[in-house]
Amino acid sequence: MPLYKVENLTYYYPEAEKAALNNISMEIEDGEFVLVAGGSGSGKSSLARALAGLIPDFYGGRIGGKVYFQGRDIRAMDRGKLAREIGMVFQDPEKQIVQTHVEAEIAFGLENLGLDNEEMLRRVAEVVCFMDLEKIRGAFTANLSGGQKQKLALASVLAMQPRALVLDEPTSQLDPVAAEDILNLVKRLNEEMGFTVIMIEQRLERCLHLADRVLIMEKGGIAYDGNAREVARSAIKSGMPFVPPVARFFAGLEVPSVPLTVKDGRKMLRSFISNKNHGEEKQDVLRHGGGLSTHAPEQKSAVRLKNLWFTYPGGQEVLKDVNIDIKEGEFVAILGENGAGKSTMLRQLTGLLRPDRGTVEVLGKDVGRNGYKEIRRHTAYLSQNPNDYLFQDTVEDELLFTLKNFGFKDKSAVDEMLERFHLARYRRVNPRDLSSGERQRVALASVLVMSPGLIILDEPTRGVDFRLKAELGRFLQQETAKGRTVIVVTHDVEFAAEYAARVVMMFSGRVVSDGGKHEVLGKSVFYSPQLGKMCRGICDGVLTFSEARDRIYPLVTVGTAAGEDPGVMM
Amino acid sequence: MFDKLYYQDKGLFLQSFHPAAVLAYLFVLLLLSLLYDNPIYLLSLLLLLAMLIRGVDGFEAWEGFLKAGVFLMLVVMVVNPLVIRAGATIIWHGPVLPFLGRLDISMEAMYFGAVAGLRLLVIMSVFCLYNLMVNPDNVLNLFSRAAGKSVLMVALAARMFPAMVRDLKRIKEVMQLRGVDFEEGGLWERVKKYSGLYNVMLLSSLEDSMEIAESMQARAYGSGRRSVYSRDLLRPRDYLNMGASLLALSAAAWGLHNGCGRYTFYPVADTLIRDSSTPAALVVVLFYLFVPLILSEGWKYCRYIKSKI
Repeated sequence: MPLYKVENLTYYYPEAEKAALNNISMEIEDGEFVLVAGGSGSGKSSLARALAGLIPDFYGGRIGGKVYFQGRDIRAMDRGKLAREIGMVFQDPEKQIVQTHVEAEIAFGLENLGLDNEEMLRRVAEVVCFMDLEKIRGAFTANLSGGQKQKLALASVLAMQPRALVLDEPTSQLDPVAAEDILNLVKRLNEEMGFTVIMIEQRLERCLHLADRVLIMEKGGIAYDGNAREVARSAIKSGMPFVPPVARFFAGLEVPSVPLTVKDGRKMLRSFISNKNHGEEKQDVLRHGGGLSTHAPEQKSAVRLKNLWFTYPGGQEVLKDVNIDIKEGEFVAILGENGAGKSTMLRQLTGLLRPDRGTVEVLGKDVGRNGYKEIRRHTAYLSQNPNDYLFQDTVEDELLFTLKNFGFKDKSAVDEMLERFHLARYRRVNPRDLSSGERQRVALASVLVMSPGLIILDEPTRGVDFRLKAELGRFLQQETAKGRTVIVVTHDVEFAAEYAARVVMMFSGRVVSDGGKHEVLGKSVFYSPQLGKMCRGICDGVLTFSEARDRIYPLVTVGTAAGEDPGVMM
Repeated sequence: MFDKLYYQDKGLFLQSFHPAAVLAYLFVLLLLSLLYDNPIYLLSLLLLLAMLIRGVDGFEAWEGFLKAGVFLMLVVMVVNPLVIRAGATIIWHGPVLPFLGRLDISMEAMYFGAVAGLRLLVIMSVFCLYNLMVNPDNVLNLFSRAAGKSVLMVALAARMFPAMVRDLKRIKEVMQLRGVDFEEGGLWERVKKYSGLYNVMLLSSLEDSMEIAESMQARAYGSGRRSVYSRDLLRPRDYLNMGASLLALSAAAWGLHNGCGRYTFYPVADTLIRDSSTPAALVVVLFYLFVPLILSEGWKYCRYIKSKI
């Protein structure tokens, strides 16, 4: 008997005319690792909630069809029993922690189940040991990092000892290191403990290889269902973007089995490229100047940070002798781990913080001395959370709000922006009624409406799907083509490699690397996109899919290679 | 900067008591500070509190409380003689003021002001010790059985408060960069600007609350009767501490009944030590109140005591 059996599941949220889930039928076996991918609004989260029994119990709405868990109708199970069997971890760790201290948070679900104190103590102790939370056992939950909070949310669910774990984009709000930590834990839970895992994820390069099965959702239905390799090939054929770069690269070749990891990709690539070709390609890439910075030195500076030092009042030295010169029309990505000083640097160059030492010049103005009022009319700043921008009654009012604050009389820019961001049909809609991707577009439109010379974005790809990410990247490239300067702080190496021209890497308050993207990302082992890692040492200088396709496809002799080594994959 | 004022687990013996034992002890201290009038009694309590605060490594935090306390003490000392006319020993004859009458400053009124300030200092020190000695989460947990939902609500508010402060700061910066100048304009204009800021905050908080509620439901909240997770052990030290608190309270009640600890300021200030029962009663009460410190020292230096508590 399968663990889950879904029969003709259709669901409408309250007052919605379009079905969030559309006639879904499937089965999930005990111990399976199922990865669910798809664009924003495709129904992934709704499916997760239906499998966790939260739809329609929590949300209301209309539902048709059945979800069976171990042969029992999930709607007939009481909430306590359901929570004992199915654990759910949500996207944002900030919004699922209710207690002030770590240990109390782990015990929260157990208290709800009415377990006795001895049993709770035992389970809390087990989970604390397994998840390595001993050091933060007594910590105040509000002081934890994002990764620690998500780990705690997972621990709190695991303490209830469920059979199935439903994870709704558990890594989307985390930096790469914390995300890796969570994924490793999930992998262990599946492989070593036998948990059934149903995970929704946008960044498939991190986890495609972990899954036994991949579901790709579209318009509330399941568009593809199969093992990772089959799905990768089918998705590529139909032009779907939900495939990580390595799989995407090989799916374009006629190989018998698509590799999913960098390791397998490298093996296959080596077998494809003859030694002679390899040497030539390496030289070719270097000749093409993959390592050179792209900005023209004679261009005017848009941002100039000179010998910048900054220490927070608490005594923490966050920026140490930072020197960066960003020219007009450049697209710069700033990478680095949490606490490297990236966000502090952004606050310096928007004038929200004043330097202790050194100068900050933005668009020719001394922001370090005169503050944000000096440049805010010419700078668009998009914070990590688009909701920070949304409080007017309509989308149009959000854009007008910015124009009014700066005293702009001409309102024609509003129409232009609404068209450009495909928001014209939502002109009179409350921005809070839109999806997350649409909200981000409204927030972006509301700061770009005054045609700024400098666009600054803090983690714009967090929780955003492949399609929206590509749209954003292309939009920013178009802006730079118009002479505007774009600065993006991001953990998303793939995004930086694909769209930025220059990359600045920060570590512990210092700039440790600055140059063209090939120069910086090509040299790095850890801060390199998947294809960069795959091609390193084989054909250096390749970072993006288009580069790999243009340079490597002509060299590949597929038939021989595929025949030679069909069984190299996991 | 304010971190020092809040509870930090330093692994000290005095932080290892059960919250019920700590609450009982601090309640007795607070009650005595309100009942005693004799300055020697109040000074003794302050001394005891100073030693306890030192025991929880909290002098830095106490400094802040002391500064505020001494300031208030001075205010009381200045204001009290101006408004109280009950003292017999006039040290300065002032002018006649409207409403107040003749401004005669008496020594007793100043004395009373100083003692009232001292009492205030003791009360503030009790609260300072509470902050340093007991984890507020554990105190909340103590009341979970009786008022589970209220306790959860308080915990949720405490957990969300730092995040809300962070959010507010971030939203304000976003609005500043969108052209909102919070320093500009009259009162009404500023109110309008801040209302926009709080509007964003409120809308986001409402959305977030739905997600929190969903996460709580996913963990079976509301599915039935809740149990209470208790991490605190009741050890011999807790029974000793609670017993000593009760004995101190009983001894103090007996003393007060017999006039020990009482003191009259007007019209002429009483003698500090009326008879031998005054120090005797104080010694007995202090002995019981010293029990946590005795146990703390015993924990450090006496193997036998350590093995028993």
